[in-house]
Amino acid sequence: MSYAYFFGCVVPSRYPGVEFAVRWITGPEGLDLETKDISEFSCCPVPGIFYSTDRDTWLALAARNLCLAQRGKNEVMTICNGCFSSLLKATEYLDDPKTRGRTNKVLSKIDKKYIGIPEKMEGSNRRVFKPVSVRHFVDVIYRDVGLDAIKSKVTRPLEGMKVAVHYGCHYLRPTENTTIDDPNNPEKVDEIVRCLGAESVDYEDRLACCGAGGGVRSHVIELANSLTEEKFKNISNEEADVIVTPCPFCLLQFDNAQKAFTKRGIPVIHVAQLMAIAMGVDVKKLGLDLHNVSCYPLLAKIKGV
Amino acid sequence: MSEVEKVFISGLHEKLIEDKVIDESQLDPDFRKEIIKFGGKDVMTCLQCGNCTGVCPISLKIEYKTRTTIKYCQFGMKNATLSTRWVCATCYRCYEHCPADLNPAEVMIALRHIGIREGIIPPFVKRAASNLMGHGLTVRPDESILKEREKIGLPELPQSKPDWESVKEEVVTIIKTTKYDRLLGIRGDEDVSE
Amino acid sequence: MAMPNAELKDNGGGTEPKIGVFVCHCGTNIGGVVDCEKVAKAASTIEGVAVSKDLKYACSDLGQDEIQKAIKEEGLNRIVVASCSPRLHEFTFRNCVEEAGLNPYFMIMVNLREQCSWVHMKEPEDATAKASDLIRMGVERSKLLSSLSPREVAVEPTCLVIGAGIAGIQAALDVAQKGFKTYLVEKEPSIGGHMAQLDKTFPTGDCAICILAPKMVEASRQKNLEILAYSEVVDIDGYVGNFNVKVRMKPRYVDEEKCVGCGVCTEKCPVKVPNEFDVGFGMRKAIYVPFPQAVPLKYTIDAENCRQLQGKKCGACAKACINDAIDYEQQPRDLDLKVGTIIIATGFDTYIPMKKGVYSYWESENVITAMELERLINAAGPTGGHLIRPSDKTEPKRIAFIQCVGSRNHKLGIQHCSRVCCMYAMKNAQIIKEHDPETDIAIYYNDIRAFGKGFEELYHRIRMDYGVEFIRGRPARLTTDPETGNITIRAEETLLAKITERDFDLVVLSVGLLPSQGTMPIQKMLSLPTSPDGFLQELHPKLRPIETAIDGVFICGCAQGPKDIPDSVAQAKATASEASTLMIRSKHVVEPLTASINDELCVGCGLCTDVCPYGAIELQDKDGQIKAVVTEALCHGCGTCAAACPQRAIDQLQFSNRQIMSEISAALSHEKAAGGE
Repeated sequence: MSYAYFFGCVVPSRYPGVEFAVRWITGPEGLDLETKDISEFSCCPVPGIFYSTDRDTWLALAARNLCLAQRGKNEVMTICNGCFSSLLKATEYLDDPKTRGRTNKVLSKIDKKYIGIPEKMEGSNRRVFKPVSVRHFVDVIYRDVGLDAIKSKVTRPLEGMKVAVHYGCHYLRPTENTTIDDPNNPEKVDEIVRCLGAESVDYEDRLACCGAGGGVRSHVIELANSLTEEKFKNISNEEADVIVTPCPFCLLQFDNAQKAFTKRGIPVIHVAQLMAIAMGVDVKKLGLDLHNVSCYPLLAKIKGV
Repeated sequence: MSEVEKVFISGLHEKLIEDKVIDESQLDPDFRKEIIKFGGKDVMTCLQCGNCTGVCPISLKIEYKTRTTIKYCQFGMKNATLSTRWVCATCYRCYEHCPADLNPAEVMIALRHIGIREGIIPPFVKRAASNLMGHGLTVRPDESILKEREKIGLPELPQSKPDWESVKEEVVTIIKTTKYDRLLGIRGDEDVSE
Repeated sequence: MAMPNAELKDNGGGTEPKIGVFVCHCGTNIGGVVDCEKVAKAASTIEGVAVSKDLKYACSDLGQDEIQKAIKEEGLNRIVVASCSPRLHEFTFRNCVEEAGLNPYFMIMVNLREQCSWVHMKEPEDATAKASDLIRMGVERSKLLSSLSPREVAVEPTCLVIGAGIAGIQAALDVAQKGFKTYLVEKEPSIGGHMAQLDKTFPTGDCAICILAPKMVEASRQKNLEILAYSEVVDIDGYVGNFNVKVRMKPRYVDEEKCVGCGVCTEKCPVKVPNEFDVGFGMRKAIYVPFPQAVPLKYTIDAENCRQLQGKKCGACAKACINDAIDYEQQPRDLDLKVGTIIIATGFDTYIPMKKGVYSYWESENVITAMELERLINAAGPTGGHLIRPSDKTEPKRIAFIQCVGSRNHKLGIQHCSRVCCMYAMKNAQIIKEHDPETDIAIYYNDIRAFGKGFEELYHRIRMDYGVEFIRGRPARLTTDPETGNITIRAEETLLAKITERDFDLVVLSVGLLPSQGTMPIQKMLSLPTSPDGFLQELHPKLRPIETAIDGVFICGCAQGPKDIPDSVAQAKATASEASTLMIRSKHVVEPLTASINDELCVGCGLCTDVCPYGAIELQDKDGQIKAVVTEALCHGCGTCAAACPQRAIDQLQFSNRQIMSEISAALSHEKAAGGE
């Protein structure tokens, strides 16, 4: 089963360093996973806009992306909570035959049909159609690769670095769709951080929302920023060196909002970027100068950079 | 003047308001069914315990709380829900904690659907949808990003290549088939700045 | 299991069926839609029908007299009563027919009300035609009826009560007092159940153990009542009146005959472990009685924690005991009992909050459950009734109660309301306020349920006399201050539509009631159905609240559903009465409408045993061949096995395959009765 990269919209167009990190980690210099680029992927589509305004359109656009993965029987590997939640929810909606029929009618106009991925049933010749598998990068790393494999590739252990993990909302909830982690006490990203040698600090209300999702950032940016400010206050109380998140949109929010309320911001990076640093990547390639909050203090702390 | 006197005398200036009785003319009995049609569950399930408001990250920043919005939906007061629809971050904490298994976030989404169909369309929605129609993506890179990509050694973006036209066409076909463009009043060729 | 044959009562006169059809108007219920006269007339033309009448109210004295007259005068040997549902009057008409000298199973009913007039109220003509069809079907079936006789089983005049909480104790006392030998089995070392752990009871504030202990002592002294404490039921087999029960008596490692409960052993014991009775707050020794008023007052050694029994040398208690009652070699003993009736009173367990859940129960020491609070405020508890905070042993001045924890929550899969939590929270608030009126108490609720006698008055008093605050809102988040141990509760006060955050020294979770751990094994042994909420299911939610689908097995107390003490006692007394009625008669009549298996056709595939909901069919070896055998006393005549059997070897008596086929043929035939429509 090979993974099809799904980078979404924000990463390639705003934080290409994250794309590099993911490619490098999964590539031959890193964990050497079997991956594939599907160039026809469009926007997932972003749930805050499309899921909120017309479910049928959202589902059709998502199903189109899933059809592309279906062709090559790939697992879709997303690196963004939003894309993950959007595509995963779409596979669940498409499980219902009536909804699938309606969506396929729309897809027929572009000569596509969502049927899922055929799998042979054990002990018989019957085939069942399983939904296209949508995975989050963190889940792939944790479950498929395993922490031991990561640890063995760490060449730059992040000793003494204090990391504040921001999980984001759609990684954890709603639990009837996503079950990567326990919504009340998620551990996976914390464990990845620890196996890279860093310390994952616990801060108050660590599972709070960054404020950007659901269209809030675009609609009332002050509201989104005020929520980010709350999080920032709690994180800076613990004197974290860096904020790490598995979602590029949360990353964008943290990166852009801090200038509105503080002069000494805390750098924010994606989990993949942190992993890449620890695994010995050439940091210049992580596009850290594009981050609004300077990552220099972070890099200064790392030996060998 | 002592503090007590100040309070006493100022307290005499009672500002009167015109609070009206809510009668049936303000209630829409089909509102509940509309919400169910657009994907919410039946709002009558809600027992108004207030847990959703307590966990909602937005609740302290807006006037009408999550629970109150659901109450307005139960009652059928459509107009009262206008201000809360687009401030929900869809974090789904309310759904996780709801003991009656209602999904207030989905109700907000249903309210957004209803609003769109009544012509209440936030400009950023139009912008993003227009971008998608015109470019196949909602976010586009500028020159500095493209330069950085080259510097880092990333492959060329799919949207920079000529085959991207077929992707755009497919996206546009989908949008036209579901009549999304008509719903939002976009053509895809508008000049939009992000 | 072979059953003794009862006397046959076959008066099924001759082979020629002489059928009487009685069409009931039921006032206007049927008569207002169906033309009963016409239908009766049409029926009179069916072959085999000797008498066909319409009656205003067939079930009335007048109506029944007419039926009986017709039987005697016309020599009828089959009766078809076309009226309401058999669920209402089947027994009425069976008795009526039997009084007239006819076997009651030659009477069948055709439902013209629930299945005809009530569902076709707007279509009287079609309804009338349908009524005619239904009667025709009934008439054809009646021609194939056979006389059946109810079986009688002997009833062993012994009762088994499982569970010795207040419900079990009361039920056992009542049955024993009526003169029947009763066994009271309890898995804990002492009887008493959860009521013994409570401090005071609502709404009056009666001390729980003060009213319970006299009953416990009475039980120990009651003639005919044998208490089997520290024992568990491991197997139940059989049917009403004839249950074979295996009880395993766990070893106390103390000879019960010799132990006088003096307590010297426990003083010398060097091992201290948390006391389950005090929900982990207090300590006990490895040799212990759970609480001072324990009945029987015999010591028990907890084998897991006893040094001697774990292989390390000790023996302190054996040395100290003046009666030489310690026996480290004691083995479990099995008792085989034969009982006629079983009363299940296995009670409840409280809900235990989740780890890393909203209420921080496992993370914060100062968040406790209601049962833990009961022990802390109980004068016989680990703190002598002095309410202190677990974290720093200081007195809490601000206490919050959170209602509906583990109840009414779809996310947990526990939808039911536990019925007692609103009241016990108020009762506890009252007790705390009595101890220290300066304490601030707030109760976070969703709805207040104060429905019982004296409940609303307590609700009023708790606000008027004690000033307890009620906040309507479900707490969204509890955060603990690591230095002070104080807890901040964040909740929306829904009546003010504002989010509030308040600090408290102690938070009490009013946990809900769930079926106890001990209920499930018993439920599995008997194949008893459970309600969707997990508690044992009663036979009819309104009219038969303590009977079960199995004759002779009764349920009472919280095993049937969450309830308070007076309701548990009332149910216990009801089960004792039902069980006694069964045992007084010493013979129990079993309805003959059971499954009947044709051994020649049965191939022993066992499908019927899989589908039977009552565990009434078994595969047995009959002369070297495996055949299915029905235990009539357990069979409810549901017909599932008859439908499932691939060999068509099973017939449901009075609904046999032939009879049903005859109905179908009659329904599809286009025979028009002469002179009819």
